[in-house]
Amino acid sequence: MPTAFPLPSDLSPATVSNTASLLRIVALSLISGAAIASRLFAVINFESIIHEFDPWFNYRATRVLAAKGFYEFWNWFDPTAWYPLGRVVGGTVYPGLMATSGVIYSFLHALNLPVDIRNICVMLAPGFSALTAWATYMFTKEMKDESAGLLAAAFIGIVPGYISRSVAGSYDNEAIAIFLLMFTFYCWIKALKLGSALFGTLAAVFYFYMVAAWGGYVFITNMIPLHGLVLILMGRYTSRLYVAYSSWYVIGTLSSMQVPFVGFQPVSTSEHMAALGVFGLLQIVAFTQLVRSHVSSKQFQDLLFVFAVTTGILGGVAFVGLTYTGSIAPWTGRFYSLWDTGYAKKHIPIIASVSEHQPTAWPSFFMDLQFLIFLFPAGVILCFHQLRDEHVFVIIYAVMASYFAGVMVRLMLTLTPVVCVASAVAFSSLLDTYVDAAEPEHAEESSEAAAPSASKKAKKAAAQAAAPDTGSTLTDIAAAATPTKKGEKPKTKAIYGLDTRLAIIMNAFGMLAFFVFHCTWATSNAYSSPSVVLASTNADGSQHIIDDFREAYYWLRQNTPETAVVMSWWDYGYQIAGMADRPTLVDNNTWNNTHIATVGKAMSSSEEVAYPILRKHDVDYVLVIFGGLLGYSGDDINKFLWMVRIAQGVWPEEIQEPNYFTPQGEYRVDDMASPAMKNSLMYKMSYYRFSELFGGGAATDRVRNQQVPKVGPTLDYLDEAYTTENWIVRIYEVRKEDLLGRDLKSANAFALGKKRKRSKPVSRRRAIV
Amino acid sequence: MLSFYTFILFFLSLSGLLHAKSSDGDSVLVVVEEAHKKDFTIFFDGLKEQGYDLTFRAPKDEKPVVVEHDVPAFSHIILFASESKNFAKDITPQSLVELLSGGTNLLIALSQKQTPLASLASEFSLILPPPGTPLVSFFPEREDPPSVIPIAAPASSLILSPGIAPVWFSGVAHALGNNPLLVPILNAPPESFAADSEGGADVLVDATEKGGEGLWAGSQLSVATGFQAVGGGRVTWVGGVDMFSDKFAKKEISKGVKSGNVEFGRDVAAWTFQESLVLRIDSTTHHLVNSTTPLEQYTTNDNIVYTAEISRFNPQTSTWQPYSGITDMQLEFTMLDPHIRTALPAVPGSPGKYSVTFRAPDRHGVFKFVINHKRKGWTHLHSSTTVAVVPPRHDGYPRFLSAAWPYYAGAISTSVGFFLFSAAWLAGESRESKKGKGGKAQ
Repeated sequence: MPTAFPLPSDLSPATVSNTASLLRIVALSLISGAAIASRLFAVINFESIIHEFDPWFNYRATRVLAAKGFYEFWNWFDPTAWYPLGRVVGGTVYPGLMATSGVIYSFLHALNLPVDIRNICVMLAPGFSALTAWATYMFTKEMKDESAGLLAAAFIGIVPGYISRSVAGSYDNEAIAIFLLMFTFYCWIKALKLGSALFGTLAAVFYFYMVAAWGGYVFITNMIPLHGLVLILMGRYTSRLYVAYSSWYVIGTLSSMQVPFVGFQPVSTSEHMAALGVFGLLQIVAFTQLVRSHVSSKQFQDLLFVFAVTTGILGGVAFVGLTYTGSIAPWTGRFYSLWDTGYAKKHIPIIASVSEHQPTAWPSFFMDLQFLIFLFPAGVILCFHQLRDEHVFVIIYAVMASYFAGVMVRLMLTLTPVVCVASAVAFSSLLDTYVDAAEPEHAEESSEAAAPSASKKAKKAAAQAAAPDTGSTLTDIAAAATPTKKGEKPKTKAIYGLDTRLAIIMNAFGMLAFFVFHCTWATSNAYSSPSVVLASTNADGSQHIIDDFREAYYWLRQNTPETAVVMSWWDYGYQIAGMADRPTLVDNNTWNNTHIATVGKAMSSSEEVAYPILRKHDVDYVLVIFGGLLGYSGDDINKFLWMVRIAQGVWPEEIQEPNYFTPQGEYRVDDMASPAMKNSLMYKMSYYRFSELFGGGAATDRVRNQQVPKVGPTLDYLDEAYTTENWIVRIYEVRKEDLLGRDLKSANAFALGKKRKRSKPVSRRRAIV
Repeated sequence: MLSFYTFILFFLSLSGLLHAKSSDGDSVLVVVEEAHKKDFTIFFDGLKEQGYDLTFRAPKDEKPVVVEHDVPAFSHIILFASESKNFAKDITPQSLVELLSGGTNLLIALSQKQTPLASLASEFSLILPPPGTPLVSFFPEREDPPSVIPIAAPASSLILSPGIAPVWFSGVAHALGNNPLLVPILNAPPESFAADSEGGADVLVDATEKGGEGLWAGSQLSVATGFQAVGGGRVTWVGGVDMFSDKFAKKEISKGVKSGNVEFGRDVAAWTFQESLVLRIDSTTHHLVNSTTPLEQYTTNDNIVYTAEISRFNPQTSTWQPYSGITDMQLEFTMLDPHIRTALPAVPGSPGKYSVTFRAPDRHGVFKFVINHKRKGWTHLHSSTTVAVVPPRHDGYPRFLSAAWPYYAGAISTSVGFFLFSAAWLAGESRESKKGKGGKAQ
């Protein structure tokens, strides 16, 4: 058989396989290095700092864990969060992330490596991304072969969709969860393939870890049962499935119930019922298989029918009955919003208000996955070619994750691994085809093969005859690289010549090169901003750091009593707790909608209405984010409508969204702004003394591109305490009750020397006519 | 220890010598016109005798300053310059309120003229009649002009000493707004009303036609009113400066009966200058029943003991003495709203000690022990201590529950069954197992 290019012929099979495995190890190490290195932009461009919002809580919790030990962490009641309700942290947190960091911390300290806990937290996500690459390699190896595995590992190592959640400093649950997700799936596939209770148990253990680490574990809880169900429906029930599923479900469920936050949910909420149902179904199917092996076919048919109908009805009635009586909690709102994207906006604005819960825009698929997104369908279709049990899994995974990623930006993260796997399968199939040196012997034969009536036997014989001729080296290299049944299925179609090969391969490598460029660019520009520190560019091109957030938080830390309660919109709760170390009313945990609505009401009402709320909650300082001077668009005025909506959900009589728009339905902050808008505490706090900054000139809000009124709002119940350099953070102090029992508005008027209107005594007598 | 006692003794004797009786300090600034200074010698001498250190200053004098280096220079200020329209720069309504917030006590006399002090009065929820309308009364029949009125003290008053003789009054009355911080001291007689000094009874006729509307009359009006500011400072508004004058002090109510003006002046000064009805919370503690150390956080349903020590200032000895006389004090255990509101009774046998034992609510959160005791005339008592109430620790729950026996039985029977099955499996003859069951037993 001719080859397109010369192949070395003096290599022993052992050498080839050893070299291949060495290369794989080297490649995996390099991939790990690349995965870690590409996540360090944030540290290099800025500093070793915890990013965003949620990570600040995780970091704070980890510090408690590292300082006080696990049991104190478990029993940690945080009186400074959700003041004055407090938060039972131990029972409302997924402790996997903190426990992981805590273990690493203790381990390093046991080795006398005094690493700061912050650096462990910052570097945890990059570290785990290397493990994710390895887990993806293992998973993809089960799908196709090692080379596809390496490609998948390389893809997941640098794909922006995953980097966005795992740059250094992004110390969030997802940082370790994706590794756990992939490794659990790998164990499941392995368990299913081998029918191994050991791998089933391993899957359960990693499932437990996943449950302890991320709320997204529900994805696994439903993916594996779905896979099992589809296999049963396809008539692919085997005892391997039975063993794998039963061992995973029983051990996984029991262990997941040990996480305090999860508790009895696995047996009491609808999200977990699919797993239980499939477990029951598997028992039934196993039982019918047992019966089938003992009774005759006709009897079995009748028996099966009656049996299936009764169990189906009984199960359905039981489920409905339990849901009705409340033993099984119905689907939660977060879950509904996955099916109806408008649901959250109507019923639970607090969920809809989170930007990462919005439906995904099309460009972000390309931004996050680049060329993988169009290789992905090809990979899924290639899975249909062989359609082994594990391929069914990838197909289901692809379908489900694509849907979810379309519904919610955040779930792009769960789509990314399967895109990498499927694309790697597609890409490596392409490379297999075009790198393979084998050429068809004759043009006639290949055209014959293409003809539908080609005699298969003859062709096979020819191919089999050809196979030994090509020499053991070629087959061995091919086998080492792609150990799928090459020998059984000899090539009937192949590529002629080097030119076609080179054209395709260069194109393919070009795509890979552009992918690398794109990933680097996206990571360094889009996903590496800590959002605590902002960067802008000076006129001369140098970087200018805007550090208003930390400036404000440190001001609070240094200048206010330790017990001073700070009110802000919930986005900043974790940061205030983490950096300023002050009690907050609401934070990013968002467990109590009413409490958030209370803050929303205070922000959107007039001062007179807001003041009793502030006093009742012992608020000492109010913090707002204002981007109008700098053009920072993520400020509170832009989030203001959500505060109004959330408050309206609880107090529909007092707060109404339409009042905050002009009669023309515009959202304005200038002279035309509605009275409710102008009187709201948020508006007043944002624009207080803003126009003074322009010295009589037109004061322009750069975010909304509107000119704010020349005469700014006045504040009677609050005092401006601090405003940062670029006015991004403004802190106001809440005044105490007046000394003389007046309302603060008239007290303020008096202090400014305004004359009070003469009052008449209230007549206590009625006029006698 | 010895030196400490001698120090205390020395201090006591010193204070006894000086008769200093205020709990707040002895320095008093008197703002009075130089010409009128001698009109009030009985009142001023009485204060001096008590140990007060009086400094006089005319309304327009720049010195001595009221606030020096941002610190109030005097503990109390008497403003008897009731007719002055202009004051020095550092005495303005705003600065007086500022002083009050710093704890300076004020004794202010009003007049029927429109002065800065009259506009300040409205900030204290006093409603003054129009300028030039003094209080007049034609009863009881007497030789004096109708604007000089004898007013009998109320039968029971916390501030005025019991059995005080009627006092002479001349000046304006004021109506009281609905401010809970006001403490009425002396009300106008029921027959009195505010009128132009010449107008006389015409006002009454006019008002009667309107059914009494707009008439400033009757015992709802007040001639001397105290004000207990939120910060603890006290202010007394008196309708006419003559109440403190030597003339009225010497003037007889009826033959042989001396007026009560001297006593009145002393009582009002005693209240205003924080001598009488002064309370304070010395300390508050909280701990578990059967324990003595206060905890940072309690567990839900804990039994908590809360104790407050309260003292009252004794002007006779100038000392704070434990005081058990409060019968209606309450303790609140508050998170947003009071979850528990209970009486805080005095402990019999230990003076000044108030204590209550209660069970913490079955609700975790950040709670406050709140004492908020506000009674007219008395110093307001306020204390707030924050503690966290946390759920039980993971090992704080009962270990074995009788209600859980079905689960225990299930676990035990499964374990026993597994053991027996394994034993039977291992001991039994080796034959091919069924696929499904064999897989599970691995």
